[in-house]
Amino acid sequence: MRVIEIKNLTRDYGEGKGIFNVSFQVNKGEVFGFLGPNGAGKTTAIRHLMGFIQSKSGTCTICGLDCWKESAKIQKNLGYISGEIHFFDDMTGTEFLNFVSKYRGISNAQKQKDLLNRFELDPKGKIKKMSKGMKQKLGIVTAFMHDPEILILDEPSSGLDPLMQNRFVELIDEEKTKGKTVLLSSHIFEEVERTCDRIGIIRNGKLVTVDSAETLRQRHVRTYHLTLSTPEEAASFAKDFDGVASGVNVTITSKQKLESIFMDYYEGGQA
Amino acid sequence: MINGTLYRREMKKSINMLLFFMAVLTMYMVIIIGFYDPKMMKMLDGFYAMMPGLMAAVGMKAGSTTLLGFMVSYLYGAVLIIFPMIYSILRANDLIAKYVDSGSMAVLLAAPVKRRTIVITQLSALLSGVCLLMLYTTVLELIVIGYKYPQELLVADLLRLNLGLLFLHFLIAGICFLSSCIFSQSNYSLAFGAGIPTLMYIFQMLANAGKKAKMFKYFTFFTLFDPDSIVAKEAGAFIGPIILFIGAIALYLLGGIIYCKKDMSL
Repeated sequence: MRVIEIKNLTRDYGEGKGIFNVSFQVNKGEVFGFLGPNGAGKTTAIRHLMGFIQSKSGTCTICGLDCWKESAKIQKNLGYISGEIHFFDDMTGTEFLNFVSKYRGISNAQKQKDLLNRFELDPKGKIKKMSKGMKQKLGIVTAFMHDPEILILDEPSSGLDPLMQNRFVELIDEEKTKGKTVLLSSHIFEEVERTCDRIGIIRNGKLVTVDSAETLRQRHVRTYHLTLSTPEEAASFAKDFDGVASGVNVTITSKQKLESIFMDYYEGGQA
Repeated sequence: MINGTLYRREMKKSINMLLFFMAVLTMYMVIIIGFYDPKMMKMLDGFYAMMPGLMAAVGMKAGSTTLLGFMVSYLYGAVLIIFPMIYSILRANDLIAKYVDSGSMAVLLAAPVKRRTIVITQLSALLSGVCLLMLYTTVLELIVIGYKYPQELLVADLLRLNLGLLFLHFLIAGICFLSSCIFSQSNYSLAFGAGIPTLMYIFQMLANAGKKAKMFKYFTFFTLFDPDSIVAKEAGAFIGPIILFIGAIALYLLGGIIYCKKDMSL
């Protein structure tokens, strides 16, 4: 079942900026990665889905509802993390979470508490004084605390340290097992590769490809097997080059940078 | 219709500013009403004789014999216009444009709350402040006059006067609100929301000041609120304020429609 659907969406901001004829859909229970460099048009597409901007050509629907006209209805079951987090600087984190709960007309204190514990966030301080990472954590709690069926996450783990990024990946996995539908945008291949079932790659406003994460992995992640003279050497080699050692053998997986993946598609397109 | 949680937040944010303006108004009103004294009247009339242009520019006229006429001259020309106007300019900008500019409007939109509800809530918060200032002014006037000059307490006349003033402030709030809805950048919203009423007020001052500049009264909505004619109970004294009221409603509707249809890059 299609939950999020974008059809032939075009938004031309001039000078090649915007998005052009973008179409994709996210099915129920699926985690869809929306991958692209900064300025590729990920946020523009997400703004349409959130009902912040009206589509001029093409359609955006969530659960069959028009993202512009029925945005309030859609939002009931949607959690959102914006690419650039701006909350109310005059409030403390606790006040803000209370405000959002009451504003939305929800109360799920337990879920909120669990999320705060999971991300080790103490929301007592003023938001103004919070670090980027703390604001990001507060954003995650705000997006997940009403237990929504659909999640739209724009660069959700930016500003988080590796430990918290792992916890975030775990959270996404849990939500996926609960059947939630997730759209996750990122400019880091590893991040979407770890969490997503399918990945759409966007560049210069055009959707380059939509493929399963597995296919993209096979295409872009190369694995090498090496044999070294001694197990000690193999162990230290594995340590230095981020591989896995087993006796005198080492397995190294190379991950391509996003740009080289794009270049791959570019060259593929030209050939 | 309105979101109670958001409304409470906005009123909480308004309260300090409202208290400050109430304190300023209290000071002015107690002092100026305290001035009312035939001897002092003569002195002020003397000032007027010396520099009629300057006195008239700020709405002060000579020969106000009754207390209400005195108040119209010395309170309703400047103090009771400027301070509530500053409130509307600052708060209207905060209520919509600042949220859009800072990006925190996303918090309000990413929730099952219609844009219409948001904009009506913000407008209600703005107008509640205007009404509170006018209500406070009225109550304070009644108390001060009742205490000092009970024989000159004309409740009905005072209420009519303040109703006219309220409609004037509804229109000013409407201009600020519309500006806040149109512009996505706080500085533009402030420039227009403050600039238009201020320019109109300067026109009003020019029109009051000199005979040659009298034509300026056709270029400012302040002309529509004529406290002298309201106090004098002239026929048609309320036509102007009613036009202000209708204009205010039109500005609110226009602002609301623009907000609901607006693309916001959040």
